[in-house]
Amino acid sequence: MNLTFSLAHLMGGLILLCAFLLLSQRRLAAMITLYQVQALTLSAAAVWQGFAQHEVNLYLTGIITLALKGVLLPIALRQIVLRFNLTRAVESTMPMALSMMLGTGLIGIAVLVVLPSTMSAVSLTREDLAIALSVVLLGLLVMTARRSALAQIIGFLSTENGLVLAAIGMPGMPFVAEFSVALLVLLAFLVVGIFLLRIREHFDTLDITGIEDIERRGR
Amino acid sequence: MILLPIILPFLAAIVLGVIGTPVRGAIANAALSLVVFLLTIAAFTAPGSGLIHADSLGLLFGALTGFIAFTTSLANIGYVRGAEPRLTPPLWRLYHALCQVVLGATLLGLYADNIGLLWASVEIATIAATLAVSLPRTASALEAAWKYFILGGVGIALALFGTMLVYLAAQPALGPGLNAMSFIQLSSHAAWMDGALLTLAFVFILFGYGTKAALVPLHGWLPDAYAEGPAPLTTALSSPMLNLALIAILRFRHLMQANVASGGTAMPPGPFLIVLGLASLLLVGFSLSRRRDARRFFGFSSIEHSGIAIFAFGIGGPAAIFGGLLHMLLQTLIKSALFIALIRAAALRGSTAPGNYSFSHLRGLIHSNKYTAWLLGGAIFALTGLPPSGLFASEFIIISQTVQRNPWVSAPLAVGLLLCAVAILRNIGPLIFGDAPPHTKPVKAAPEMHLVALHLALVVLLAFAMPGPILHLLSTMSGALQ
Repeated sequence: MNLTFSLAHLMGGLILLCAFLLLSQRRLAAMITLYQVQALTLSAAAVWQGFAQHEVNLYLTGIITLALKGVLLPIALRQIVLRFNLTRAVESTMPMALSMMLGTGLIGIAVLVVLPSTMSAVSLTREDLAIALSVVLLGLLVMTARRSALAQIIGFLSTENGLVLAAIGMPGMPFVAEFSVALLVLLAFLVVGIFLLRIREHFDTLDITGIEDIERRGR
Repeated sequence: MILLPIILPFLAAIVLGVIGTPVRGAIANAALSLVVFLLTIAAFTAPGSGLIHADSLGLLFGALTGFIAFTTSLANIGYVRGAEPRLTPPLWRLYHALCQVVLGATLLGLYADNIGLLWASVEIATIAATLAVSLPRTASALEAAWKYFILGGVGIALALFGTMLVYLAAQPALGPGLNAMSFIQLSSHAAWMDGALLTLAFVFILFGYGTKAALVPLHGWLPDAYAEGPAPLTTALSSPMLNLALIAILRFRHLMQANVASGGTAMPPGPFLIVLGLASLLLVGFSLSRRRDARRFFGFSSIEHSGIAIFAFGIGGPAAIFGGLLHMLLQTLIKSALFIALIRAAALRGSTAPGNYSFSHLRGLIHSNKYTAWLLGGAIFALTGLPPSGLFASEFIIISQTVQRNPWVSAPLAVGLLLCAVAILRNIGPLIFGDAPPHTKPVKAAPEMHLVALHLALVVLLAFAMPGPILHLLSTMSGALQ
């Protein structure tokens, strides 16, 4: 039982660390690598939870995560970087130090909100949930702190990892594998969307400041 | 039985997506929508069991969704005839497939008795709607789709987190397994749920589904999506999707309220909803008069009506919830009629492409066609909530309940409603009776305009002489969900 705890926490912590490091990275290639490490850790965490809870569903989630998010998505993202020649650093909307401080604050909020309100739940679930909420909030922060569409997608992918982390920690939750597949469909549309919609042609760079164009042209 | 109206659109989407010319696709789409509409009515006799187990609220709004889908798809045939050259045949096939996917997903969400399925249906509907917005392939359509995708994606992520928290909050009452995800089970065991967790969950649910319901400050995607996408799908069919999100919020609100009422530790949900509702109403009130594009204008008006419904749910009590549901019902009918009429009005002036919907381009409609102009004017007037519009009845109920239960917030409510009504009224005169642009010739009205007349007649009937069975259904439901 103790091993269950410490291993689950170790992997949760690693996932959180990756989410936090995403905030400090300026280069897309580094962000993708961090995301890959996060996804691989997540798949290990899912398999470990499956072993601890004796749930076939969770093994399945782990395998799906490993194959699609640990291997396929990073390859697709690297392809986008190569194809669109996006080797330069990503512009951010706020100073790095500020975003890191905000990130620390968000982790604090997540812990303060989740721990007192989950007194009745099993302690493993409680702490997992606090970590998962931190990852979700950090991903959203990455999305707001970055200007490039691809960096925002990586932020969203990290948010989604946080969601799956929360789902695998829930005791006996049905549909976990289905949820992760449904989320993956959404992610696939996002990533494929960049290819198909050829955002670069229209937005020039993968910089989504162009979106404010609509606002300027008097709605 | 109840599975048919859900499965049929998804199967039809595959067929429509693969074969058919644009016009034939539109006709097949209309025929399928009619079948689905009839099936949603037949569903009243067999509400299903297990995962797909519709309550009266789901059935009622399911039938409404079927009806709107049917009339919209009829009007869509004329739209496709006029707009055919603007998209390639494969894109038109995709468009008709997406119409069916949105319909099927909305029905799935309304009929599902499972918080996970509800979430999945909202996700499918969002993806389909985003793809639809991107169809015109113009730069501004892609921007609108991207904005919708990012905001909708974040909303969906938050809603899933909230859904998992609700499941966790139900653990003390229902234990692990499917039971802890069923609305029927959750609402009968709400008293034993973990109140603090439920409150946390509700915040995520509210912001998650609130994004789909376009509540301020999460409304940014809606006006762009309305203005840039192919008109019938992104505008007329979008009201049922807003309803789905609003009903989801109403159901989760009920869980929290039931927990509070039986002495649980959850926070009362009212203040959250009242604040978001008023914020939506007031923001729209102040920004509506500056909109120049009719589709954006009425997109903002949808935000207003979502705000009013959420506000009514926040006030609480059976009467206010009845008012909120009635408001959603009538608003959906009016808004889809309005968009059918608006598309015809743009067609009278040459083109239904985005960018041809500015008020200055459409002004003086009466010189183009009297019937279209009067009906469009009637539909716009109905949005203000002045009698004889049906919304007068629902807004009257909501206001009187507000004065009774929470008098302090009735002042901002009244200010918001007045501001919106004035902004809408100011546009009717020039749009209908103003001077037409030079070289405007009278044109024959399209047969679709009879659908608009039918919608508006239904609105008055439902508001002032609601048939007994529907009245009974709505009032028992609002009593159960108070």
